[in-house]
Amino acid sequence: MRTLLTLTKSSIKMFYRNKQALFFTFFSPLLIMLIFGAIGLDKVQKIDVGLALSVPPTAGTAQFVEALKQVPSFTIHEGIESDLRDQIGNDKLSAVFLIPGDLIPDNPAPLESVLNPGLDTVPAAPAANTSETRTVTVLTNSGQAQQAGIAASIMGEVLDKTALKISGGASLFKLETQEINSNHLKYVDFLLPGLIALSLMQMSVFSTAFVFTNYKEKGILKRLIATPMRPATFVGANVITRLIVSFIQVFTFIIVGVLYLKAHVIGSYWLIALIAIVGSVMFLGLGFTISGFSKTTESVPALANLIVFPMLFLGGTFFPISSFPVWLQHIAKYLPLTYLSDSLRQVMTKAACFGDIRSDLLWMLAWSIILVGTANITFGFEEKRQ
Amino acid sequence: MVMENIIEVKQLTKKYKEVTAVDGISFSVSAGEIFGILGPNGAGKTTTLEMIEGLKGITSGQATLDGHDVSKHAHLVKSLIGVQLQSSSFFDLLSLKELLETFASLYNRKVDAMELLREVQLEEKAKTYVKELSGGQKQRFSIAAALVNDPKVLFLDEPTTGLDPQARRNLWELISTINKKGKTVVLTTHYMDEAEILCDRIAIMDNAHIVALDTTPNLLKLPGLETSLHFRVDKECSTEHLQKLEGVTRAEHEDHSYKLTTGNAEATLGSLFKHAKECGFKLIDLQLHQPTLEDVFLKLTGHALRE
Repeated sequence: MRTLLTLTKSSIKMFYRNKQALFFTFFSPLLIMLIFGAIGLDKVQKIDVGLALSVPPTAGTAQFVEALKQVPSFTIHEGIESDLRDQIGNDKLSAVFLIPGDLIPDNPAPLESVLNPGLDTVPAAPAANTSETRTVTVLTNSGQAQQAGIAASIMGEVLDKTALKISGGASLFKLETQEINSNHLKYVDFLLPGLIALSLMQMSVFSTAFVFTNYKEKGILKRLIATPMRPATFVGANVITRLIVSFIQVFTFIIVGVLYLKAHVIGSYWLIALIAIVGSVMFLGLGFTISGFSKTTESVPALANLIVFPMLFLGGTFFPISSFPVWLQHIAKYLPLTYLSDSLRQVMTKAACFGDIRSDLLWMLAWSIILVGTANITFGFEEKRQ
Repeated sequence: MVMENIIEVKQLTKKYKEVTAVDGISFSVSAGEIFGILGPNGAGKTTTLEMIEGLKGITSGQATLDGHDVSKHAHLVKSLIGVQLQSSSFFDLLSLKELLETFASLYNRKVDAMELLREVQLEEKAKTYVKELSGGQKQRFSIAAALVNDPKVLFLDEPTTGLDPQARRNLWELISTINKKGKTVVLTTHYMDEAEILCDRIAIMDNAHIVALDTTPNLLKLPGLETSLHFRVDKECSTEHLQKLEGVTRAEHEDHSYKLTTGNAEATLGSLFKHAKECGFKLIDLQLHQPTLEDVFLKLTGHALRE
């Protein structure tokens, strides 16, 4: 036990003294995060809004809708309310306008002018028979609060101006908003768990593959087994070190993501930690397997990238797997990284509970067994003479 | 009770698929001696050492260390020995002091790292990394690392290979100091002088076999090894006369160069000087060639140690 403790301490010292490893472990993922944050992929010019009419529109309402379509910041998708609600849920829309068909009962003013800035001086139409107030409901996507807010305020403005035209200022319309939680939140909310998964993979694979191939190549492992130390103790100390590093990674990135990129992390931190452990063990197995196959440290990057690089794009880090062609989805969904990023995403953005991510965890366990198994076969302390 | 033979090796054999690296060798090492295995590269020295150290499997035969069968109690044996591998390197990012402490922990021990570093004259390097050390310093450190568990036997695999003469002598001194403190030392080398100077007994190994094993003086007494005198003369002189000089077993000449083979160099030299004076010729470039381990090796194996 003392041996394990001392070895772990030594191994931690070596880890943080390795500047290159530190860079790839912490700074390069942070850099990616900061760059993506700066680019601001969330700032799309057009806001996708849905529009549903409760009953067939009156001529005036139809005209109002047509006019609304001319608003440059909107891309309007017409549909029925339940569909549009689903689309908010799937994060396809930022907001949905629910407009009563008889919003504008009859003979309204030419509304195009209302919607064109600078034409406010057009004389208002005489007040129509507007005994009751009509309500326009805006369903807002909580994950795209910013866009939804803009959509709602534009709608509010349009309604105000319309009311001004029709009745000369009487409050004809009422605007109500309802927040709807979407499944997928902002891009950064999607990105953050993916990036954490990615950096866990990179750290676990590269730090073991490089370090242990180096130990093997230089005869350090041989020197170690010339002592009564058990190889498992040494491997254990290194695994513990990397698990500690993986926790630091996860929480550093979460903190930066939340503070700097305003990401939302709503799930259980215990579950995140559990996923991080299982995911790291899985990729440590891969790292050891790679160093089992590599004779020299020079061959590590080639071999490791061959395996890791495709996962970087297909493992659900930067793009959702559902955006891939179907045949590719069939491959992508079985990748170890996919399970890691997916389960982290489920927990971090949807507060998934253990039961929700059980299948991801089981798949990761299966991969862990396979990869730790291959590591056991390929990687040994004793040098194998050809 | 002091065990006389701390290492016993019987019919030790290591076979790989195609080659037999060590072929049925037997020897014993007594406690407290410096035992050398001398031989060219590829003779099987390292393999022999690594089998005794428990690093390599034994194909057949047996090795015991301090009474423990190496193949059955590798773990125990490893705790009794200190090992310096031929090209052992250490972790890059730990200082010498940290390395020694880490290594001590592998034996579940605590060690006074500074004291150990002082012993190998690396005290002032305690905070540096191994990669910043010179070749000689590296080897000294490697010996320090082999001493963290206060071993009974210290195994050194080619400890001075690649070192400059000064560093080699320095290391020899260190090895004998350690030996004088009571540690048995087993080392391999392909340097004759190293074996001659350091070792109490030498096993000469060639081609997977031990071809001779004895103390250096005894090895040099091998029948057929001759001392010879080489010289040139300024005037012609007859080999017949030279042949009759005291101790001379054979006299040969080629042009003005002469070679006298003798069983008693001292007597031959005396009579040679006398003869030269009487005949009035001068001896030029007189050289005495005494047998070395190189000659022993050549004699035993039919080829030079380093070709």
